[in-house]
Amino acid sequence: MSTYLTQVWAIVWKDLLLEIRSRERIAAMGAFAVLAGVLFNFSIDTTTTRPEDVAAGLIWMTLVFGGLLGVGRTFHLEAQDDAFQGVLMSPAPKDAVFLAKTTANFALLYAVSLLVLGVFSLFFGLNLGQNLGWLVFVLGLGSLGFVALGTLFAAVSTGTSMGETLLPVLVFPLLVPMVIYGVGTTTRLIDGRPFSEVEGNVRMLGAFALAALAAGAVLFRYVVEE
Amino acid sequence: MTVVVSASAHTLGVDEAEQTVLAGSGGAVLQAAGLCREYGTVIAVDGIDLSMNEGEFLTVFGPNGAGKSTLLGMLAGAMRPTAGSVSVRGKPLLSSDTDWRHRIGMLSHKGFLYGRLTVEENLRFYGKLFGLSDLDERIPARLEQVGLTQRIRFEARQLSHGMRQRLSLARALLHDPDVVLLDEPYTGLDPSAASVLRDVLDELKDGRRTVVMVTHNLREGLEMATRLAVQVAGRFAWEGDNQGLGRKDFERHYHDVVEGRA
Repeated sequence: MSTYLTQVWAIVWKDLLLEIRSRERIAAMGAFAVLAGVLFNFSIDTTTTRPEDVAAGLIWMTLVFGGLLGVGRTFHLEAQDDAFQGVLMSPAPKDAVFLAKTTANFALLYAVSLLVLGVFSLFFGLNLGQNLGWLVFVLGLGSLGFVALGTLFAAVSTGTSMGETLLPVLVFPLLVPMVIYGVGTTTRLIDGRPFSEVEGNVRMLGAFALAALAAGAVLFRYVVEE
Repeated sequence: MTVVVSASAHTLGVDEAEQTVLAGSGGAVLQAAGLCREYGTVIAVDGIDLSMNEGEFLTVFGPNGAGKSTLLGMLAGAMRPTAGSVSVRGKPLLSSDTDWRHRIGMLSHKGFLYGRLTVEENLRFYGKLFGLSDLDERIPARLEQVGLTQRIRFEARQLSHGMRQRLSLARALLHDPDVVLLDEPYTGLDPSAASVLRDVLDELKDGRRTVVMVTHNLREGLEMATRLAVQVAGRFAWEGDNQGLGRKDFERHYHDVVEGRA
């Protein structure tokens, strides 16, 4: 394995190991997802509103807000004992650090997004049958774009006096295209429409994720270096 | 910067000819030229020149707020100078070139450790970031050096302050750096932990490493150093070779320098 991949994997492994041991972020995101599902279940009158019409929007909003809980704390564990400074002083390229932090965040958020999908399909009685695989794929693309932007801006907000409060203000405007394409795609897939009908939207989601990853990899060094 | 060779320096037996203002000299391992660092209107480091050869051990003393840690941060490449430059073996510390990072090891106020990782996991993690392939041999050797072999499975947060400091030292030395930077390594250590640390630092004086230590601890700082400097208000107000100065003599001289009498 090349040194670059070894460095990326070392950080991913370390982040996931820390999360497994602390369960700090996954517990917060998971609890939020379940509670949001329960509350939305009681707030929607299914006699006047078809659950399939609103589920996609609620799933994506839960994902975005729940994701912020976790992604916003990406650099908090690093702040203890100034450990992140040790990482920055190592020979690991900054883009490798970014890709590693994004990968670890993606693993967490993707797990939560699948939980969100399960919770909403349970409470809203959604029949995901034929499009389940595509839904899982679309949520994966959305999660990737979200964590790429979220990780970059978490690094920005961690270094400010406003901290996590600043993160939504920075990230939400940039997430608008992702939410538009994500909700549109998810609504149709939940409704049982064929994949060919949403293929363009999925491409846009993929492009968004790639653009966010590339931008993050390039800009991260300017955020974390003095 | 201009080294101020005071009258007191002469009385301490420091030959003016031996004053080491070596910026620009050939073969230096660590060089800094015109190093400045400003925080808004506050000047933390004000035009320091430094040149260190292999095997030299420089201790920088100075009162709080003199800019010692800032100087060390810039020498480590962790802080960008407002002006001036740092180079290791003639290569400037450019952020785009990570090769020089292999040559520097730093022990800071903070340990750069992950509390929920074990002693071994912390070292393995940093070892991988430095691209080291022989970690199975290297980690036990370093742990033995700092006396933490028995704690290899302990999480870092379970260690005492002294043990964490030793683990941090093992981390800083894991990749066998040419330049070792130590920021107040004795802070908060009990005599036993300080003794272990002293032994490890003694081993660093192997003739091939260059060490810069910042400390308030006059006794430890004098004992280790081949060169001494007193930093006041961002400048080296005095520097010279350590020619076996007694602690009391140096302490008197230090206070004279800090208070501007020398």
